Amino acid sequence: MSLATRIDEEGERLAAACTACGACVRACPMTPLAPGVEAADAGAVAAGMRALLRGEEAAPEAIAWIGACTRSGQCTPACPERLDVALMMRFVSMRARGALGEAPRVAAKADSGWSARVKAFARLTLTEEEQARWL
Amino acid sequence: MAVNRQAPPADRAVFWYGCNMLRHGEVIRASARLLDAVGVETAPAGGPSHCCGSPQEANARIAEGMARRTVEAFNATGREQVITWCPSCHMNMQDLMAPVTPVRFDTAHITEVLHARRDRLRRLLTHRVPARVLLHRHLGFQPRVPVNDLVADLLRLIPGLTLVEHPLAVPGHMCSALAGVPGALAAAQRATLDAMAQAGADTLATIFHSCHREAVILERGRSLRVANWVHLLAEAAGWPCEDGYKALRNAGNPRAVAGEAGLTAAGEAAFERLIEPELRKPPPA
Repeated sequence: MSLATRIDEEGERLAAACTACGACVRACPMTPLAPGVEAADAGAVAAGMRALLRGEEAAPEAIAWIGACTRSGQCTPACPERLDVALMMRFVSMRARGALGEAPRVAAKADSGWSARVKAFARLTLTEEEQARWL
Repeated sequence: MAVNRQAPPADRAVFWYGCNMLRHGEVIRASARLLDAVGVETAPAGGPSHCCGSPQEANARIAEGMARRTVEAFNATGREQVITWCPSCHMNMQDLMAPVTPVRFDTAHITEVLHARRDRLRRLLTHRVPARVLLHRHLGFQPRVPVNDLVADLLRLIPGLTLVEHPLAVPGHMCSALAGVPGALAAAQRATLDAMAQAGADTLATIFHSCHREAVILERGRSLRVANWVHLLAEAAGWPCEDGYKALRNAGNPRAVAGEAGLTAAGEAAFERLIEPELRKPPPA
């Protein structure tokens, strides 16, 4: 199985089981920092998340909520259907950033210098022997 | 509150410290030494060649390739356990990597391993560390691994250290996640400083590397200390574990702190282009 298949198939399974009741949205500590989400109907935001998980269009509030997800994990215990909502959010976060080749709806956190930067720090903080053994 | 968990079984393991931990070489070193001291012989592994794929999460094909390379490298070691440090790596292994590429190892977080062997750890911690410590807790990784409770228990082993009680747990799984949402990191840091004042803490103990990297600047102009939990354990063990990143980040002139040898090691151009901008980054607003 490829990662794209896992996101697509497991995402669909979770989306099919989600009732969009909005409990996950109400439990999320990040909603005050997601524009429009607190004022929106929680069920509608959850329905938008479910749509994004399927690669469908969604309202701006749902996109804002996905963009503000910091993996707080409070959504999962709040779900009355006992779904792993944190995993749903992980999948939808990747998909909304274009992981499956669709047009991105949420800006990806791009850091083109990440690899070179951590390697430079490695040269600064590790001995040559440690670099040879640990990298 | 004490946490009771089963002892992870492996005595030989990969210590998968991740990528961004490379800013904190002394924490990698001390963590490996702590694991060794409690009877787990480790092979540390990290950096971009052992990536979980998260830096490329906007492209599933690339993320999968990076993750597969890492899993195959760990499989090839023949070690039955991979001990993680980074919560992103840990969750990615369980959620995205292992379901896609078959693994021949189990995964445990370093706090679980040390906690399970804390009786051995306790014997090492003979030096007093007089401090009133607030633990920097996040909400996000706790449901997966009760790291807030495990680290609290480990810190309570340190003679002279008082762990203050405060209900604050900030959103996210670590501070790098908050840094991506406007206003979130600054709000979390304000709440943390308020909690320290309310609880009478003089030290903030970070759990994860990205939190540490963002929190060290809280020392500027304030009478408080920021230390990672591993720094505190190492200090209690009497091991050298100077916080190199904090010294660089809080220096008026990081080049002077890096010194000639550091600049040469990192590469003059790399230091200027890749490291120095991060060290000179203003506090979050």
